[in-house]
Order: sequence, then C-alpha cells, then structure tokens
Amino acid sequence: MSTSQTINKTWLISQEALENWLDSLAKARSLIAPRDVDGVLLYRPVENSNQIKWGFTRPVLSAKEVFFPSTERLLKIEKTNQHVTLLETLPEGQTVIFGLRPCDARGLQALDALFIKHTPTDPYYARRRENTAIIGLACKEMGPTCFCTSVGGAPDDSDGMDVMLYETEDSYLVRAMTEKGLALIPQTEWPLTEEVPAPAKMDAPLYSLPQQNSWPAHFNANYWEHVSERCLSCRVCAYVCPTCRCFVIRDESLTAPGQFERIRCWDSCNGANYRRIAGGHRPRSEKGERLRNRFYCKFYYYAEQYDLGEETSACTGCGRCVDSCPVNIDITEVLTELGRLA
Amino acid sequence: MYEPKIVAFLCTWCSYTGADTAGIARLKSPANLRAIRVPCSGRVSSELVMRAFNQGADGVLVLGCHIGECHYDTGNHRAAKRIPTLKALMTFAGLEPERLHLDWVSASEGERFSRITTEFVNAVRSLGPISWRVAPERVLTLGRGLASAEPVPYLESDCAGKTDAIRAKAKELLASGEVSCVIGYEVGSRGRTHPAFIYHDNDVERLVWNPDCTHNLTTYLPDKVSVSGALMAAHRKSSPKPVAVVVKPCDARAVNVMLAENRFPREKVHVIGVTCEGVRTEDGNLQTRCMTCEERTPVVYDTLIGEAPATFVHHPSSIVAENITTLEAASPAERMEYWLSQFDRCIRCYACRQACPMCECPTCLFERDDSLWVGLGIGVNQKRTFHLGRAYHLAGRCVGCDQCEQACPMDIPISLLNQRLAQEIEKSFGHRAGMQAISSPVVTVLAGEYKEG
Repeated sequence: MSTSQTINKTWLISQEALENWLDSLAKARSLIAPRDVDGVLLYRPVENSNQIKWGFTRPVLSAKEVFFPSTERLLKIEKTNQHVTLLETLPEGQTVIFGLRPCDARGLQALDALFIKHTPTDPYYARRRENTAIIGLACKEMGPTCFCTSVGGAPDDSDGMDVMLYETEDSYLVRAMTEKGLALIPQTEWPLTEEVPAPAKMDAPLYSLPQQNSWPAHFNANYWEHVSERCLSCRVCAYVCPTCRCFVIRDESLTAPGQFERIRCWDSCNGANYRRIAGGHRPRSEKGERLRNRFYCKFYYYAEQYDLGEETSACTGCGRCVDSCPVNIDITEVLTELGRLA
Repeated sequence: MYEPKIVAFLCTWCSYTGADTAGIARLKSPANLRAIRVPCSGRVSSELVMRAFNQGADGVLVLGCHIGECHYDTGNHRAAKRIPTLKALMTFAGLEPERLHLDWVSASEGERFSRITTEFVNAVRSLGPISWRVAPERVLTLGRGLASAEPVPYLESDCAGKTDAIRAKAKELLASGEVSCVIGYEVGSRGRTHPAFIYHDNDVERLVWNPDCTHNLTTYLPDKVSVSGALMAAHRKSSPKPVAVVVKPCDARAVNVMLAENRFPREKVHVIGVTCEGVRTEDGNLQTRCMTCEERTPVVYDTLIGEAPATFVHHPSSIVAENITTLEAASPAERMEYWLSQFDRCIRCYACRQACPMCECPTCLFERDDSLWVGLGIGVNQKRTFHLGRAYHLAGRCVGCDQCEQACPMDIPISLLNQRLAQEIEKSFGHRAGMQAISSPVVTVLAGEYKEG
C-alpha cells in the first residue's frame, strides 16, 4: 500500500509493552483478539490482554464474523396504530482487532470487493470496516494445512493491515501501515528501530491452481459427482471460510407486540435448499452441483463478478475448510485433480 | 407482586371440560393460566412446549385424560412418554423441573383441576421469573469446561487382515453383481481416512480398515438404496440392486434403527460388519465413545469380518457419565450457564445434523422458511432450540456413534445431551437404540411398509 511507504516507521517493543498497549486500547474501544473459548480458538472480545491466547496458530473461524456477523439486524420495524416505523440499526462504536493473520486480512479484501467496491455499498459492512482498526500479526511459519503461498499470499504479508506486528526472539517489531494505524501507536513511548523482520518460513507445499480460462471446461466433469459423493451438504466449509459471503434475509417478529426486525444471516450454497425457487424447483439439487458451485464461486465467478485487483481467486489459502470438513474434502486435492483433468 | 405466566395445554375432552366444571362449581383457579385447547394431550409436541418457554412462559402445564380414558385410545400414552422425557432434557439444559408439569384431569374433576393448577402456579411463583429466554445482546461468560477423559492409548489390532477380508468380500459382491455399490473407507489426501464408494470390483483395493475409520457410513445408506443420482443409475441398470456397507458395531445399531423406521427394506442392504477395538482420535488415543462401548461385534450383519477382541477393554468410569453426574449435581442456573456457553459457539452449520444417520427429515423442522419453531438467527436462543430439539428427536434413536460431535467444528459436547437422553430412555423404557430393529418408545410410529421411490 502506498501509505506504508510514506509512514515507514518501525518500533521494537517487548511483550510487556505490547500487553500494556493492548490494555490501553481496550479501555477506549472494544478489543477483539484470539481467545481460548473452552478449548476452541476464536476471535472474541477481550477485556484486557490477559484474556488473549498468545502463541496461537489460527482461530477456527475467520475474522469475517467481526465485519459480517453470522446474524445482523438490518432494521427494526415498529407498528403503532396507523404507522409503521422503520428504524435504522447501523453498527456503532470503535473496534480494534489484534492478531489478525495475513490470510484473514486478504479475506477482508475479497469481502470489500463485494460489500464496498461493488455498488451499492453495504452500509453495515462498510461502517464496521471504517470503525475497526486492524493490528496484524505475521505468521512465523505456515501451519500443516496452510497454503497461502499457493494463492498469492504470504505468511508475513502486511496487505490490508493498519498495524503489522512481527514476532522476533523475545519482542515484537511494530510497523504502522496506515494513518489509522499510526494514530493508535504511542509514538513517544516506543523506541524506533532500523531492524527488518526476518522473512517467514515458507516451506509448505505449493499447489498449482487451474488456469483461469480452464474452469468452464470442467463444468460438466464427472469429477464433481465423484468428489461430492461423500459430501454431507453441511455448511462448515462456507462458515469457516474468510471469503464465503452468502446470506439470507428474513423479517421476523419480536416478542414485544407490533415489533419486528429484518435480519441477515449467513447462508451457504452447500445447503440443499439454497437454490430452491418458487414451485419448489431446485436447480442445484445434486450434491455435486452444489460442491462444484463452491469451487467455481471461489476460483472463477468471484473474480469475474467483482474487482479483486490482481487476484484471480477469492481463496486465501487459510486451510480452514481442509481442517473442518468432516469427510476430508480437501480444497488442495480438488485443485490438484482439476489441474490433472486439464 | 410477581405473577407467573403459565401456558396450559388442555385436552378438549377431559381437562378443558374439567376446567369448565371447576368454573361451574365456582371453584377458584388461578388467573395466570393461558389455556390452549388441544384435541389431545398427545398433540402437545416437544416443539410446542419449547416454543412456549422460548416466548417467555414461566411454566408449562399439560393436562390430559387419565390413562385408559383417552378418547383416541392411546393419545395420552404419548404425552406420558413424551413430556417426562422432554422434562429430563430441559432440566439437564438448566430449566427448573417444577416449571413443566404433566397431569391428568377428567371432565368431572373440577376440584382436581382447581387444585393442580393452584399448586402448579404457586410452585412456579415461588421460583420467580424464568431466565430461560436469553437477551440477544447478553455477553456470555465463558463456560467452565467439564473434565476430559484420561487418554487411553489405542492398541494396535489386526487391521491388515480385516482390510484384506473387506476387499475380498467387496470384490465378490461386486463381481457377482449382488450389490451395485460398496460403501467403505479409503485413505485420502493428507493420509486421512474418509468414506469411499466402490462400484467396480477392480476398485476394491481402495478399501481399507484402520483405526481412523470413524465415520458412520450408514448415513449414506437411505440415499444410496433408494435414489436417483446419475452415478447410481448408471451402475444399477434396470432393477435396483442392494448396497453393501461396512459397519462398526455402533454403526450397526444405526442400521437397526433405520430398519425399524422403514427407511429401507432389509434385503436392499448387505451389511459387512467389522468387529471393532475402537477408533482413535487425531492424538492416537481411543475416542471417548469407544472407552465405554460394550458392543465389540455388530448387532446386525450379513458378513462378519474379524473376531470379537479377546481382551475386552472397558472403562467403566465413563467420562460422559461422570460429566452428566457433575452437571446434574449443579444448580439449574449453573447448568443453564454451562449449556448457553457451549451453544454460544454454534454457528448453525448443521454439520451435526448432516453427519447424523438418524436426522432424516427432508426439511429440518428448525430450518423452515416460516421460522415456525425457531428463527433464522444464529443467536444463542435459536441455537439452544435447535440443539435441544434435535436431541429430543434422537431420544431412543441415537446409537451414540458420536458423528455429530466429531463433525462439529466448534467442539460442542452434543453427545452429552444425547447420552443423557439415552440414560433416561433406558431407565424409563428399558430401551437401547438399535440393539434390535425396534422403534424408539417415544417416537410416534407411522405404520406402513417401505415403498420404492
């Protein structure tokens, strides 16, 4: 990013200074950080730095839920005698996320392409993006199912962060990437440094994506039916994915009489009824058709529909779907197999 | 002064008339009751009760005809089985048991109606306002995790021999044309074991048996037996052939439940039963469910692979039973807090339901477009309704294969609910799901034979 060039300042701070900083940030705004929730690692609000899980790998859910929550009230509807009032419910308050991994930051850029760059802009998502500062944390190495390097990312990629942290032996290098990030940093308290972060280990296997123009040819491949035979049609892959962004909107009544709300919730093209239309017809009634859609959306349609910049896919290589799929449908295996078909 | 809101489901023939009798006799009944007239106490489904609580009822009273006096012969038998089972489940999830009550009032028992309703309202009043319905914006405290099991290392067994035997049998069945497909296990990417579907006898080498054969493959059976997909159609020619499936002892119990529920005819399935020493977790330890498993040989099979292990490894101090005891010893408020903190993690991805061989509804009750039983939201109220509702639907049907918990990305202890209900069903009805092809005692049996298509 161009702003990072102009700021170009790096500080060296200890673990203690980092914790003090996060504690002070948590006082003025809500702080979201990786947290151990009964043995499950999640991005969750924390009151202070003691509640943060340090030395974490990758939360089970992506940070998507901070900006695009699983359930969101779009508006409240109140009915009184002759009048129906619609009340706007835009998200309020400043937030800061600590410990965002580069794959999740890339995921946000894919979501931006849809929710912000593609008009009309989604006011709920846009407001959350605007009100949230992102403190990224570079991965020192790649996890066993990570493949960000195969889809154009890197474990120490600072793209999309407001502040980027790099772990060193016993301290952290802090880089301000944007003005928003710079504003969070107590510049007078921290010593500047010329030190340059050591590059992350990138020893994970590289998978080659099928050529962008080869996707249409695979549409009718028998492969989809074979690979989807064991698919359970659950929604894990979509819900853990940093870039799956389908939702469903419904008006529901609240318990108070005359009050209703319009809510938006996550949805997934893997669900059997996702494509059901009037008359009960389901154009994607077979599991293979649904699973195929997930891959086409991620690697073909998304870049066709939205402005992803240089990227050709909306996959960030976080590997969450690989870890969560109950029946081992492995995105890297599917891509490899498709490459073989071509 | 606090006055509780009570939803009372009154059977039209006896209890509703009984309420009238009380009125005609000018007996006093509390004004807290919102009476809902139902044709029979058997009409009061678990969803109705749960919905009443979800919408803010402080107590739910179900009144029907005395046993033996039901105008539909056995409608109240259903209530007599259903309500106590539901009460056990909801109590386990943190409801004070006094808030749900089932009783019998006949048309002439005005005095009894007055007494039961007064006692119930007094009991609920003394409990104070209910805290069942959770404010959506409430910040959940972190749950106190329950104890986890002492790891028991998985002991190596004769997997190579069983693999050979499974392949040989699959080859024989496919070559002879006896079955169209063999559902088994294969090792896929990253060395992980997953379900495999074999259609040709020259593909049988893909099949394996190993300590990671955790999936319950019977989940795929109803679809494979009855349907449709182009793959199946291509391989089955004109008359649909049976399907073979590799089962562990726990999975075999699922076959029995499916047979009892007419999900497919017995002759359409060739069960390749494999004796089992348990399956392991990713850490190489025995899975929790396998520690207390008592069936080492499948209860139903056409072909048996392997011999029952000579050394029966049984760990009587099941962590699940211990955790159930721990939770039951806690106060209702503590239990509620525990479960809410667990359900809070749920993302409604439905992996539990999709992996479950017993979840069979074409449209899940909790996924209806009209939000009848539960809203669309992924909030803690909705998630609790889904999980408790699903657990109740599995009462007497759950075989404890733990696929739900295995599939859950958020490590929600779903099987704890299922096991608690299994205990209740065994205690009350002496029924263990799937030991024979007998339906659950709390499931409404719809008579009728399996029909193709």
